[in-house]
Amino acid sequence: MALRSTAKGWGPVARAFHWGMLLLFLGIIPVGYYMTDLPLGLAKLKIYALHKSVGLTLLGLAVLRLVWRLGDRRPTLPPMPAWQARAASAAHALLYVLMFAMPLSGWVYNSASHFPLQWFRLVNLPAIVGENKPLAALAKEAHEVGALVLIAIVVLHAAAALKHHFVDKDATLRQMLPSKGDRR
Amino acid sequence: MNTAPKPAQVLAALLLCGLGARAGAAPSYPVVAAQSSLSFVGTQQGERFTGVFRTFDARIDYAADDLPGSRFDVTIPLKSLDTKSTERDQALVTADWFDVAHFPAATFRTVGMRTTPGGVVADADLSIKGRTKRIVFPFTWKAASTGATLDARVTLDRLDFGLGGGEWADESTIGRKIDVIVHLTLAAPAPVAPAGKVNGKLPPKH
Repeated sequence: MALRSTAKGWGPVARAFHWGMLLLFLGIIPVGYYMTDLPLGLAKLKIYALHKSVGLTLLGLAVLRLVWRLGDRRPTLPPMPAWQARAASAAHALLYVLMFAMPLSGWVYNSASHFPLQWFRLVNLPAIVGENKPLAALAKEAHEVGALVLIAIVVLHAAAALKHHFVDKDATLRQMLPSKGDRR
Repeated sequence: MNTAPKPAQVLAALLLCGLGARAGAAPSYPVVAAQSSLSFVGTQQGERFTGVFRTFDARIDYAADDLPGSRFDVTIPLKSLDTKSTERDQALVTADWFDVAHFPAATFRTVGMRTTPGGVVADADLSIKGRTKRIVFPFTWKAASTGATLDARVTLDRLDFGLGGGEWADESTIGRKIDVIVHLTLAAPAPVAPAGKVNGKLPPKH
């Protein structure tokens, strides 16, 4: 089975990264908003730990995904106005930036707050900065703003894909869907 | 209300005076706060963290040749704790942990000292959160050119003091063992209490 992408569609590896990370994103974002208002307690600590574990997983996947993408080809874009192609490229670039910026700002926030970092109770990860309250506040702000930008871009990205599928009736969405058609 | 002391109270007062006089026999060393620390090491989510109590009052009366006259008496305001994490510090003062609103201070009072093969140890009553536990407190006393240093390390089980009971008792998130590390720098002792001279007695010499 060909793992790589072709002119006609994304390969299975690219699709797995795309949909797998979307699933984790759909989990981590609501948890992130929910947990901050919890009262101090064990539940809060555990939910934060889960959020951090999923975030670290996403960071690891982002690294693998970027490496894979650099060696992979991209399917040919269906015909569309140049501004749309440019907007799509910009959105994808921003998504890649946020794939790294979100977990890293969370990690900086955690380290600067002098909190432990454990991946699913299995491995402890080192602090990437020293204890630093102003930096913690800055990283928290970046993490919050980043979340809003990320949600906005994901919504825009999904809306564009649906527009291509239902209005333009082109192959854009099918190139990424785990369907049999249009794969090569 | 009857304010006259009852005989039992008079007797208790006399006994306390007697104990006080005896305890005063060893020289009292003032703590040099800037060069002293009272810290603890705990485990959270697989990582060790260190906290300090920024303030504490310690009365350190000690003479190696007068263990019965030696005593340590320490009071620790718990809200002075600092684990370099705002969130953790906020959690530690709540009712689940130190419950500082109801129990503002911990106390440590020696009830006796003895010589063991490993050195001098104190037996002490440690009170945290309204619970008192008799602990063995081995320490290292080193005389300096002026004053002395006192170093000690003891391991406590936080559940003995109701710290993090209930849902926190499971130690997979917060470990039960807490290492307490004491480092005191002590200035030269104050001149021997004048009370001894008034009675014409000199401090015991062996």
